[in-house]
Amino acid sequence: MPRLIWYGLPCALGAAALTLAHAGDPLPPDTTYRPLPALPFSAVRANDEAARPGVMQRQRALLEQRYDLADRPAAVMMSGGRKAVQEGVRVKLPEGETWDGLAAMSPQEIRDRDLLPDGFKPLPHTKQAAGGQVFPEEQITEIGRDEARDLRRFDVDFDLPAHLTPEFPPPIFLTTHPELGDVSRGDLLTIRNFYEYMNGIVTPVQMEGLRLLLTPFPQEEFNQTEDRKVAQPSLGVACLDCHSNFHTNAAFHLTPDIRPQAERFRLDTTSLRGLFNQQIHGSKRSLRSVEDFTEFEQRTAYFNGDHVSATRKGVHLPDRPNQVAMMAQMQNIIDFPPAPKLDVFGRLDPAQASEQELMGEQVFMGKGRCAECHVPALSFMDNAMHDLKLERFYKIGETTNDFVAMPDGPIKTFTLRGIKDSPPYMHDGRLMTLADTVEFFNLVLGTRLTGEEKEALVAYLLTL
Amino acid sequence: MRALTIMLGLVLLPGHALAQFGNPAGWAPDSRTDAPGKPAPNQTNYQDRLFAQLVTAGGLAEVELGRLAAGKSTNDEVKAFADRMVGDHTDANAKLKAIADKSRMPLPDRLDPDHEKMRADLEKLDGARFDLEYMKAQVIDHQKTVQLLVWEIGLGQDAEVQQFAKETLPKVLEHLEMARQIQAQLADDARVRPAGTK
Ligand code: HEC
Ligand code: HEC
Repeated sequence: MPRLIWYGLPCALGAAALTLAHAGDPLPPDTTYRPLPALPFSAVRANDEAARPGVMQRQRALLEQRYDLADRPAAVMMSGGRKAVQEGVRVKLPEGETWDGLAAMSPQEIRDRDLLPDGFKPLPHTKQAAGGQVFPEEQITEIGRDEARDLRRFDVDFDLPAHLTPEFPPPIFLTTHPELGDVSRGDLLTIRNFYEYMNGIVTPVQMEGLRLLLTPFPQEEFNQTEDRKVAQPSLGVACLDCHSNFHTNAAFHLTPDIRPQAERFRLDTTSLRGLFNQQIHGSKRSLRSVEDFTEFEQRTAYFNGDHVSATRKGVHLPDRPNQVAMMAQMQNIIDFPPAPKLDVFGRLDPAQASEQELMGEQVFMGKGRCAECHVPALSFMDNAMHDLKLERFYKIGETTNDFVAMPDGPIKTFTLRGIKDSPPYMHDGRLMTLADTVEFFNLVLGTRLTGEEKEALVAYLLTL
Repeated sequence: MRALTIMLGLVLLPGHALAQFGNPAGWAPDSRTDAPGKPAPNQTNYQDRLFAQLVTAGGLAEVELGRLAAGKSTNDEVKAFADRMVGDHTDANAKLKAIADKSRMPLPDRLDPDHEKMRADLEKLDGARFDLEYMKAQVIDHQKTVQLLVWEIGLGQDAEVQQFAKETLPKVLEHLEMARQIQAQLADDARVRPAGTK
């Protein structure tokens, strides 16, 4: 009863707190904003080039310490038949531990004894302090050859071996023409060839959208100012330089959504396949339409979440009804690759699936609890974000290669349709194979799957 | 004596632990390099210098306010927290001072006006009211310190200052977690008990 009286107290205290806590300077401006370069471009470039071998060696050492990077192709090919899927668990266990042993421990014990495999922790960018977009060698070569445009940075290279990235160039499947199959002609769509390849297949509106998605705009690391990381003043970057053929080439960046710089986590390019069924976009931003995402991506310079810096380098403001809508309509006709073993409900057809695949589906729906977020009828997503709370398993605030690992917080549930085509996995690409993702979720969800169940689950994921 | 162990600690750090690859666009204009692409040690940019000022000011305040709270509070958890602040931040301040001396950065040696005022305000309070206000301020100060440390790790130039930030960050995160828990508990208590009773 007297409780009621005390409800007034927190308000009184709140007012007092204002006088105590409010008197202070804000944090320095470049905790949020990007500082302008303090050295001339030539000096920055010379130092960056000189440091590059050390930067790449350090990243290589980190990757090798975390993962088995060997080339071990499975019998299964990606959807275009141009690259084999890689098999096996690649995350390295701490000395003397087993997966089952870890799965039997409490998160607290794993954290206190520092036993979470490092490969499960957030993966650093090759150069956190500069961040920015980094393209794989195949993309750099192809764009150099076809468009004479330079996507090579002088401060960093791409870090993952090519056998651990998606097939290149990826096939293109259209919702509007399932009967045609892959319409990519085995080539990378560029500003030079898109009209020849797509005329007669797409509408005028889609064609205009495609043109814009392939048109490079100078931005961020690829622009004309002293704040660039490419040797010559740059012709810029196009949307499909990362989303090659509307899929992904594993180009990476830093999240736009976090500051200060050292805390921004790595982002692995997502596929644009099946965008038509997705209600939220971006791992953290939860933008509600493809149009919003498209407009915004162009506006804030491909992933820096920084309209201020983007404006200085030359901003491109696509017109919403005339340009954004067309870019969105083009993206929205990109289909998932065919999954012949799935029926119209997204369930395995027992007439076509193997025993093991069927068992995997059972685990997925049941003991593994995967379907609670990856709902078959919703293209194996739930259009929601979830916090997997991985920090239950490790101590936050550790710095690795200049990157500070903090909790990921809620992240969008990604689709699992066509998932065998898009390694590396998770928002930052920290997992190399599907077998890794099964071990990851088994630990995080505490589902204690057996060896047989895990293998079946991997076999099932390959059918999606 | 403590200063000596701290100096030794720095000397014994393995070389690779200091390997930091910043963005040279943010180096001080007069930077010398040891090897190409690697700034010579103990050269600071604007971020290192401002960081050292702000973190030292914050650290001095932690010690001062910690002493005040350890003497004034009657709550065991608040007292223990305050003692820990005095100990941990005395250590951290000495560590940073040793680096700052090498890199020729003069540091503040007394409370800044903001924290002077905070101390004066806190001195007027007693009992549960004091505890809650002290802990609230501690939460905010530690939140700000976390962001400052991350800022230095990202944009600083002096490898030793950055190493200091890296080593200090997990501890400050621990302090923040403790402060948040104690504050939540105190706020809960305030809701069910009259002020001044225990
Ligand atoms: C540097 C490589 C890169 C470039 C260039 C790029 N993207 Fe992306 N794209 C990404 C990454 C990485 C994500 C994941 C973003 C996230 O998680 O917040 C993404 C996500 C998206 C998504 C949301 C997918 C989803 O449903 O979550 C859309 C839509 C998209 N990009 C369209 C575009 C368009 C349009 C452009 C050109 C204006 C563009 N992208 C340029 C790398 C890139
Ligand atoms: C609580 C919801 C939830 C459950 C349950 C869940 N997932 Fe996920 N899944 C997510 C989220 C969220 C992500 C994105 C996480 C990230 O990137 O950090 C994800 C990502 C993935 C990815 C990587 C997708 C990509 O494009 O990189 C795979 C593979 C995956 N999950 C498989 C599984 C499997 C197998 C199970 C069951 C053992 C499972 N998930 C259970 C929410 C869930």
